[in-house]
Amino acid sequence: MSANRWFATGNFFSAYRDEQRIFATHLDRAIFATFLTALFVWPLCFEVSSKNMLVLDNILVAMVAIIGLNLVTGFAGLISIGHAAFVGVGAYTLALLARTIGDSHVLITHAWPLMLLGCGGMGALFGAFVGLPALRLKHLYLAIATLSFQMIFQWTINFLPMFNQGQTISIGRVFWFGGEVSRKDHYFFWYYVALTIVVVFGLAVRNLLRSRYGRSLVAVRDNDRAADAMGMHPGLTKVYAFALAGFFAGVAGGLHAYLYRGAGIESFTLQQSITYLAMAIVGGLGTLTGAFWGPAAIRLLDLQVENLVEWLTAIMPANMNLATALKPLTFGLVIVLFLMFEPRGIANWWRICRSYVKLWPFRY
Amino acid sequence: MKNQRVWMVPIMIVLGMVMALAPAAQAAEVYKLALSLAITGPTSDAGNPYSKGVEDYIRYVNDTKMLKDAKVECPIRDDQYQTDITKRNFEDFLADGIVLYLNYSTGSTLALKRDFEEEKIPTIPASFHAGNLEESTYIFLPISTYSDQCIGLAEYIVSNHKGDTPKVAMFIHPSAFGRAPVEDVQKAVAAGLKMEIVEVVEHGKDLDNTALLQRLVSKKVRYVLSQTVQSPVATLLKDAQRLGLIATTFGEEGKLTFLGAHYTGGNDLIELAGTAAEGYCWTTSYTLTSEPGDGTTFQLMLAKKYGRDDKTANSHNYTNGMMVAQTAVETIRRVQAKGGKVTRESLYAELNAMNGAKAYSPGNTVGPVTYSPTDHAGVDTLQIYAVKSGVFRSVGKPFTPTFVAKIKK
Repeated sequence: MSANRWFATGNFFSAYRDEQRIFATHLDRAIFATFLTALFVWPLCFEVSSKNMLVLDNILVAMVAIIGLNLVTGFAGLISIGHAAFVGVGAYTLALLARTIGDSHVLITHAWPLMLLGCGGMGALFGAFVGLPALRLKHLYLAIATLSFQMIFQWTINFLPMFNQGQTISIGRVFWFGGEVSRKDHYFFWYYVALTIVVVFGLAVRNLLRSRYGRSLVAVRDNDRAADAMGMHPGLTKVYAFALAGFFAGVAGGLHAYLYRGAGIESFTLQQSITYLAMAIVGGLGTLTGAFWGPAAIRLLDLQVENLVEWLTAIMPANMNLATALKPLTFGLVIVLFLMFEPRGIANWWRICRSYVKLWPFRY
Repeated sequence: MKNQRVWMVPIMIVLGMVMALAPAAQAAEVYKLALSLAITGPTSDAGNPYSKGVEDYIRYVNDTKMLKDAKVECPIRDDQYQTDITKRNFEDFLADGIVLYLNYSTGSTLALKRDFEEEKIPTIPASFHAGNLEESTYIFLPISTYSDQCIGLAEYIVSNHKGDTPKVAMFIHPSAFGRAPVEDVQKAVAAGLKMEIVEVVEHGKDLDNTALLQRLVSKKVRYVLSQTVQSPVATLLKDAQRLGLIATTFGEEGKLTFLGAHYTGGNDLIELAGTAAEGYCWTTSYTLTSEPGDGTTFQLMLAKKYGRDDKTANSHNYTNGMMVAQTAVETIRRVQAKGGKVTRESLYAELNAMNGAKAYSPGNTVGPVTYSPTDHAGVDTLQIYAVKSGVFRSVGKPFTPTFVAKIKK
């Protein structure tokens, strides 16, 4: 390692432990801390509309879900096309409880951190269960198994009266130290909660990837027989991966239900699962930063296309149908273009940018 | 220095003109409404003409200065039938200062119900789901609920059926939209409506209904009452035609007579089902362009004025959108006429006062729009239409289902 931990450029690893550091230099750590502080402080300095805050909250919730999807699909190489169903499991855990004990029960409104953990726990349980076929199935066959879970989930929610047959089940407003979180503060409050969860989960996964289990994930993805021969347990690793992904998805579901103050089936359909997969691909499968880039890119792209559509509709009212078709078209095109030209996703652009900065000012 | 003075003169003149004109510009008030609906995605076949109905009527109001110097703004956004997007649009509209909100789907109306309550904003959705009105004070339905429509159809069956107790099957959409009226029809039967509900079928995406139709006939079902959208009904009708099961007269023995609520019918159904739609009975509270009148003449003029094609001009969903915009504008006009300030509160109060002598007749409904603090369903009367020679024709006079009041007791 370089003697000066502030201004080191390039890679100076002299031990495996150096390579495992979360931050290679003090400067990296300082930049991260500054960035994080800025994320927490900026809403206090600028006036942000509820709509924009909702968009940001939505991105953060998606990040929590994609951290999980990236773990199972990106790091462990297990295709999951039922991720929205896992998110739905979290949301409906909370919704079912609200329906049973009342949506303004103290457990729902005051013990919301515990509820979020509970949602994650239920997600993990379902994740582990759905992951069981991974012991026998691979590739497309496994993808079909996860798709089946998505279908079963949708059917269950749509038809069982206990889930209000897919209609929205309301969730009450939560309380914080200052009392009930009002409508005015609702989106700000959940911004801070979701951001904290994203940071904690991000660091947790970063740490996980440095651990034996994290390395097992990658080893099993690259060659499960070789991993088996080296003493790892591929089956257990896969089930763990699904359980962990389910946990993150479950927490995201709980957050979603609290943010939208209810759970309805429209938010957890197959289309949403495909959107999650697109986020993971565009962000960069098998990278931690990809889980942050993907949701931001897809959600902001959606918004920009909506603005474009509105503008086109204003100047060409007769072509409204054509203009509104732009959104699904752009969504599909972006995925295809990324798969063709940048399969490593936006995370790879980030890596390239960082590598330029890392060598600055070419001191060696 | 001299040059600077020369430039100052025109600048001062322009500034003076701007200041002189400013109060006049401020005097023209702008009332903001907003609509979020599915222009793409599920149900966009209804959402598309609906949005055009709203858009055209608002343009007409501004073009003809119906509200004198005041203007109405009504941005329309596509939510792709996704509640999350509807919520985002709604928050944006709120920040923009809307005084009345127009929503669309059942799902999003139910999901945003609490927001409407907290914001105290009068809302008129395109969904006629009875559940919208439960624990709600700010939602106003344009016409009778789906439940009322189905009960109306059930009453029509009972009063026109010859023979024993009529056997009926309900063919419904697998969602809250489809399921909600079933319980109310069952309640009406329990309250004395003499018919038997033999089976309730939640349709999937089946392309063949042979087994279903044969089963219904074997159970001696004579009437199929639908509460869904047009395409599954069209598939059902075509299959029935192929099997020779469509009744040629109402309630023909050994055959099936098909009936349906608002979103099952319209010209789209005839287009999809072709000759199989012949004899199909449909109920809605809107007038149709196939039965000309003052309201429909105005509708066709409006569509022509703003360059809409024939399909849109004749769509009952275009009428639906138009009527919702008419109701909103009329409410604003009434507040304005009283010399009041157009706010959420004043519009809410005015909507609640829209009854008795103050009931509103937009011209394109079969009865007046009436609201009161205890009744938030607009047009209470229904009209039965039946397809004759490829167009929907009125059958009998508009009526109010009697069992609706009985089951509410």
